[in-house]
Amino acid sequence: MEKLSSVKEGKYKIVDITKIGKLKKMCDLGILIGDIIEVIKPAPGPIIIKKGNITVAVGYGMAMDVIVEKIE
Amino acid sequence: MEEKIIAIAGNPNTGKTTIFNALTGTRQMVGNWPGVTVEKKEGYYIYKNIKFNVVDLPGTYTLTGESEDQKIAIEFLTSTKVDVLLIMADALNLERSLYFFTLLSEFHKNIIIVLNMIDLAEKEGIDYDISHLEQLLKVKIVKTIGNKNVGIEELKEEIYKRCKDIPSDFFIFNYGEEFEKSIKEIENNLPLLNFQYPKRFIVLKIMEKDEYFTNLLKDREEYKKIKEIIERIEKILKKPIEKFLIEKRYSIIHGIVKEIIIEKKKELKIELTEKIDKILTNNLLGPIIFLFIMFTIFHFVFFLGNPIKDFLEIILERIKNYFLNINLSIWSKSLIVDGIISGVGSVILFLPNIFLFFFLFAILEDTGYMARAAIISDRLMHKIGLHGKSAIPLILGFGCNVPAIMGTRILENKKDKILTSLAIPFMSCSARLPVYILFTGIFFKENQGLIIFSIYFLGILIGILSIKFFSYIFFKVESSPLIIELPIFRIPYWRNVIIEGWIKTKYFLKKAGTIIFLGTIILWFLNYFPNPQNYGTKLNFAGRIGNFISPIFKPAGYGFWQAGIALIFGIYAKELVVSTFGSFFGFENLSESLAFYFTPISSYAFMLMSLLYMPCIVTFIIIKKEVGIRWALFSLLWSLFVGWFCSTIFYQVFSFLKGG
Ligand SMILES: Nc1nc2c(ncn2[C@@H]2O[C@H](COP(=O)(O)OP(=O)(O)O)[C@@H](O)[C@H]2O)c(=O)[nH]1
Ligand SMILES: [Mg+2]
Repeated sequence: MEKLSSVKEGKYKIVDITKIGKLKKMCDLGILIGDIIEVIKPAPGPIIIKKGNITVAVGYGMAMDVIVEKIE
Repeated sequence: MEEKIIAIAGNPNTGKTTIFNALTGTRQMVGNWPGVTVEKKEGYYIYKNIKFNVVDLPGTYTLTGESEDQKIAIEFLTSTKVDVLLIMADALNLERSLYFFTLLSEFHKNIIIVLNMIDLAEKEGIDYDISHLEQLLKVKIVKTIGNKNVGIEELKEEIYKRCKDIPSDFFIFNYGEEFEKSIKEIENNLPLLNFQYPKRFIVLKIMEKDEYFTNLLKDREEYKKIKEIIERIEKILKKPIEKFLIEKRYSIIHGIVKEIIIEKKKELKIELTEKIDKILTNNLLGPIIFLFIMFTIFHFVFFLGNPIKDFLEIILERIKNYFLNINLSIWSKSLIVDGIISGVGSVILFLPNIFLFFFLFAILEDTGYMARAAIISDRLMHKIGLHGKSAIPLILGFGCNVPAIMGTRILENKKDKILTSLAIPFMSCSARLPVYILFTGIFFKENQGLIIFSIYFLGILIGILSIKFFSYIFFKVESSPLIIELPIFRIPYWRNVIIEGWIKTKYFLKKAGTIIFLGTIILWFLNYFPNPQNYGTKLNFAGRIGNFISPIFKPAGYGFWQAGIALIFGIYAKELVVSTFGSFFGFENLSESLAFYFTPISSYAFMLMSLLYMPCIVTFIIIKKEVGIRWALFSLLWSLFVGWFCSTIFYQVFSFLKGG
């Protein structure tokens, strides 16, 4: 398990979002715990992730609290 | 005529504005300034003898009282009697759109879901069993393709029907028996509050620990009891209520969508967006492309705009000659020719450039590039201590500072709001563009685009440095976390772009006909009296005022009275800088006369001053409204100082370099 802020490009599963405020924000945009996402652009700078037709850019501070798991 | 109110709500980029435009055409009354819908946009259409007033609400993903643009939406929906609420749903992201629907269904009952982008869904191989969905949600659904006008007539008919017969049975989200009981329990404990939000909605918001709604309640004695109930529920749920609510909503929606989705073979995947995004947001290439795009825009503003401008000049001269040759008293002739035609005319001349500027910007916006620009700027924004989202109001500032400052409402943090508001006046608005076009046309004919680009760039730089400086002195707060959606890339839709370009140009025209018109009359008055035979000279009021302050500008290279008074009038509205020169020299002799007074170096110094020296009155008032009088005054003094300082330094340094 890794933080979204430190992963490379590739497919990941969101395991947890640790801060409730941040969880709310992600869910409002349609990204939920358990979702499979693709990291299109890793840090530095905002991390761009994609789930289905939703593409969002997540700031570093936010990505620190998103725990993901690599999927082969 | 009978009137009805229709509101459009939905996630950003679902096509709200497109549908709004399709319904209302250009019959839009823009209270303040169009653009990113932070306030609300209104228009109307007539169907079967009823006037439907349509309101385009700010695009949001959720409804909390914590962010101002969302508060506007909530307040509008509760305080105004909205007859029908349209909820825009994106067929590509139905789950998220329905999530939004569940939130809104808590406080409005007469809803139509507009399922837009069905063309894209079809390409993705997705279709939905609409009649089934209608049954499940007890709501009418209309399929549309906003940019192809598909479904608009059905939508109008459906809105009409909904106004006539209001449904009696509607969707109520069920959170499960136990939880519903707790909602009731809190509802019963809720004190009387003097606003009209539905009780259930308030209860849910308090359970979600929405700061705004909780604060409304905090001092009431009933709050303790409510808090106890909430804590009790959380113990049973073993998780925060807000998490439970989100999960519950999404799981029910997920079930619904699964039931109604019909998946077919995919035709095409939107993978292109992904590839383009990798390049556009690349840490190195991104900024270069961004600068290149901006530069290209400025280039086209002149390349295409100047020939039309020259043509307008000929027409204007005809009009002037016409008035010169008819029989009128001397003073009224002077008022019309020297005052109004020269003053208003010299601004109107820039209409083609202004239109192009907005038009090109609207294209950029409609493609989805703006969100990428915010991403590119994020690192920079962070370095100077701002939130990545601040880039959006800052970029809006290039159009007009007023909506840009209102745009700071999308920022959640007071600190970000204040700092961004302080920097926005340095973003060169379109009202300042005529000054640059005028001067670069005289002194920098070869490199017009480049020079103007450099001015914009310096504005940005100084804005950024100011923020850095102030965030260092005044603030040491953390920014709230950044999360921005990147809409898929689209080919711009011609109607959106033209309406957007036209409405903003119309605003500029309207300003020329009102504020600028009035300004030129006042200016004429000051130029004409007390010595009518010496119009526009040092002997009259304008000249005396200009003469009085002009020594301040001597070190900057333009210490003559015409420049002084031009800058004073520019505070009223920045376009008047050009008008003032126009009223002294006449628009047809403007270039020759200015070439006499200015040198290339002093003209650049003057452009810098015009860029930086002070927000115009309206901007000042809006800053005061948004962040308070102290910061507004501060912004005024700071920009005055910075403008004078930069302008003077520039002139001194370059004169020295040239001389030495
Ligand atoms: N393919 C497709 N594009 C659409 C449709 N409706 C709107 N658009 C485009 O989607 C983008 C966002 O639309 P806009 O009305 O600005 O969304 P808003 O943010 O909700 O106001 C624009 O580029 C529109 O041209 C549609 O039905 N199909
Ligand atoms: Mg819009």
